Amino acid sequence: MLQTRERPKPVVLPAYCKGCGRCVSACPQHCITLGTEINPESGLIPVEIDLEKCNGCGLCFAACPEPYGLTAYDPLMDLDESYLKFPDEDSSTAPVPQEISGETLPLPPVEPLMIKGTYAAAIGALLAGCRHFFGYPITPSTEGAELMAKLLPNLNGVFVQAVSEVATVNMMYGCGGAGMPCMTFTSSPGFSLMLEGVSYMIGAEVPGVFINIMRGGPGLGNIGPEQADIKLACRGLGHGNTHAIVLTPDSPQEMLDLTMLAFELTFKYRNPVVLLGDGYLGQITGKVKLPERMIKPGIPSWGVYGDDMHRRNLICSIQLSEPDLEIHNLHLNEKYQRIIESEQRADCFHCDDADTLIIAANTPARMAKGAVQVLRDRGVKAGLFRPITLWPFPIDILAPLLPKLRQIVIVEASNGQLEDELRLALSHAEIIDVPPISHVRHFGGVLPQQQEIIDRVLETIDTEVTS
Amino acid sequence: MSVFYRNFERHAHGAGLKGHATHYCPGCGHGIAHNFIGEAIEELEIQDRTIAISPVGCSVFLYYYLDVGNTQAAHGRAPAVAIGHKVANPNSIVISYQGDGDLASIGLAEIIQSAQLGIPITVIFVNNAIYGMTGGQLAPTTLMGMKTATSPQGRSRMMGEPLRMAEMIAQMEGPVYVERVALYDNKQRNRAKKAIKKAIQLQKENRGFAFVEVLSECPTHLKMNTAEAQNWVKEQMVPVFPLGVKKDITVEPWFEMQAPDFNPQKLVDQIGAVSDAAPKFAGGQFPAHLHPEDIALKLAGAGGDGAQTAAMLIAQAAVNEGFDGTHIPSYGPESRGGTSYADVHVARSEVLSPAAANPHILIAFNAPSLNKFGPQVKPGGIVLYDSSVVSEPPALDPEVKLYGIPFAQIAVDLGSMLVKNIVALGALQAASKLFPPETFLEAVRRALQHKCAMIPLNEAAFEWGQKAVMHLGDMPE
Repeated sequence: MLQTRERPKPVVLPAYCKGCGRCVSACPQHCITLGTEINPESGLIPVEIDLEKCNGCGLCFAACPEPYGLTAYDPLMDLDESYLKFPDEDSSTAPVPQEISGETLPLPPVEPLMIKGTYAAAIGALLAGCRHFFGYPITPSTEGAELMAKLLPNLNGVFVQAVSEVATVNMMYGCGGAGMPCMTFTSSPGFSLMLEGVSYMIGAEVPGVFINIMRGGPGLGNIGPEQADIKLACRGLGHGNTHAIVLTPDSPQEMLDLTMLAFELTFKYRNPVVLLGDGYLGQITGKVKLPERMIKPGIPSWGVYGDDMHRRNLICSIQLSEPDLEIHNLHLNEKYQRIIESEQRADCFHCDDADTLIIAANTPARMAKGAVQVLRDRGVKAGLFRPITLWPFPIDILAPLLPKLRQIVIVEASNGQLEDELRLALSHAEIIDVPPISHVRHFGGVLPQQQEIIDRVLETIDTEVTS
Repeated sequence: MSVFYRNFERHAHGAGLKGHATHYCPGCGHGIAHNFIGEAIEELEIQDRTIAISPVGCSVFLYYYLDVGNTQAAHGRAPAVAIGHKVANPNSIVISYQGDGDLASIGLAEIIQSAQLGIPITVIFVNNAIYGMTGGQLAPTTLMGMKTATSPQGRSRMMGEPLRMAEMIAQMEGPVYVERVALYDNKQRNRAKKAIKKAIQLQKENRGFAFVEVLSECPTHLKMNTAEAQNWVKEQMVPVFPLGVKKDITVEPWFEMQAPDFNPQKLVDQIGAVSDAAPKFAGGQFPAHLHPEDIALKLAGAGGDGAQTAAMLIAQAAVNEGFDGTHIPSYGPESRGGTSYADVHVARSEVLSPAAANPHILIAFNAPSLNKFGPQVKPGGIVLYDSSVVSEPPALDPEVKLYGIPFAQIAVDLGSMLVKNIVALGALQAASKLFPPETFLEAVRRALQHKCAMIPLNEAAFEWGQKAVMHLGDMPE
């Protein structure tokens, strides 16, 4: 039996028509004309359609830039309604997103590895469930990336060498936005280039782990070990109201452990995590024990994964309305506050009875540790306070040690960036009664040496005695 | 229209007209391109799999409209973000939507890399020859002579010629399909719609990178009405940006990615971890005769001398015996022939400071290394040097025990210069009694487990190194 199916004819919804007239020239039957009456709701002049000659060719629909400007005529339609209303309907047809949970899997017991710091971090990432790496080669971080390039294909993972650090961080934005654990290895100049993207990740609440094996700066500087990016990582993660947890390992073992922790924290807070190493730490080989368990990640409820369960999601850092952006910043502030309260970490070596406290992180902390041991052997009550998080600075752990101190010596391979973090933390905590602070600083790839730390401590004590 | 949200809630919270109207100016081509994408997604039945990447520019709010997974990207970076999404879930259909400032100016590197890579993503490039959102400035695609807010006298040679992206992309190996279309009349819109659908379908079939450049009207900044703007695109833009298919090749599906592997045993194997412990030979006895807690060694030579390998073997030997060990290499700028020295620590429980500024033991492979580091050796320390290249050792602290051993000559006599570092290890063992010989030999054997044929030569080198020290008859107590 012959069936006839009428092709839909257009109805203009006057409030949604901006009167551009594209449909006017599109209509071969000349049914549509530019209007003359201003629509009171839109303030624009919608087109007018005379359906008498309309043969339903549909060309006007294809010409209309507005999704709801022209709609198919339905005899049951209330044409007095000037615009569509879906009062009880959800805007999306997608289900409410759910988390697909991950799991932890037991790792077979194995002997400790003897590996360098960058390798330890790469292996830590694999154990934390990272199967996606994006990066751009830069000395002295490349060996970590090279190990990932070697291992990931064997684990059905993906290694992408991006066209630049700018592209790298945006690939992480996409992959992390999909809810997958991803990372990069970089070094100071490369980290600088990534910061725009880091700000976007923080704004859009995208996880990702940045391992920055810091080198000498400014500019091209050199490839020697420096702690030149403490300021960037703690205070300068791109534009806007940004913070990220900053971890500072001091051994290959911690390069692995803290990389695993970084992945945990980056998802816990939906915020990037920065792990700062230095050139020495990247190269030093040491004993590394593997953990008892590894992670198989799931898909978080918020991920834009590209499946039905997560279709409703949006990864986005733009908030056009000022009140909305303020609310978003307050939300970020609340998150930063939770991090400050929960995530301070430090390692205390002979701190309990110390009257001389050395504060150092990364490789300089190793030199300082050696110095503390020598000073103890000589009867000086020295201790090492080693921040493991630089942001948040572990001030709550440091504060109880302060009353006993006669002096603080800050040892760092930078121009005082660690000392600045300490002083800011003291200030924010409103700690006024602080012992004299002196420092041992080197930069340009030169590391503080154990002997000069010892000398500085003794010199200050001698001065005290003399005066 | 089911691919569009039923309410544009993200558009000013969907209040009033904004719940169903776009933010675009009257006559703007973006809405048409959005509609064609929406129709293609619907016809290809991929709504659940689709991720749209919103750019920066007028179409920054693409995510207000399409009821798919949405990610908003930084200016120019949409293709990089798209790659991140695609590899995170290869089953997703990723559409990068970009304007001319975004794609052809600030994002050139990202679009070129993604096209060169050929990864199956779809790029919809809307070219209207002007910056819209920032208020009508010069775009990389602005026509010669065209007046904009930043070319008030018209685009001149100083601003370069307009960039033809479709042609540039088409000449690369990666893309499978590149077409330039327009929106100015029914015929062009029909072609545009088909091209957009094809570019997405090719991704659904996993064929590769597809790119559609859409010549679009910006009546606002052209200061024209829609009809004039359509005519302008036809008369002015098309001669500079010729329409048509620029590349269309048939290829096999690009790649079939497996789900990531999380098998614990496989991971352990991949990273080279083993479950069998190295045998211990020292009986838990720390070599306290050298230092009660922590022994510092420095190995120094030219690049290629094998100092780093020997250093690594010492640190590994320490760990195998249940102690702590560290190794820090320091290379000159060249990987061969430059200076190369290594700091090694062997500690009873934990290496504190891993640097060896004043080592207990120095192994020097050449004269400059011996001259530089010899004076830094602690009193009572041990210095071993290659007497085949150092004829006259410098005067060192009289309390330092000095061993001149012809590392290189012994190695050459054994048939390979490469093993001179193992000769040095043998000499180190005999001179210092750091660990029993078997400790070193076991570390050497394990390091050579994949080059077993090399083991006898290395064992011989080690033994000759030991013998050379014993022959000196200068054994320390």
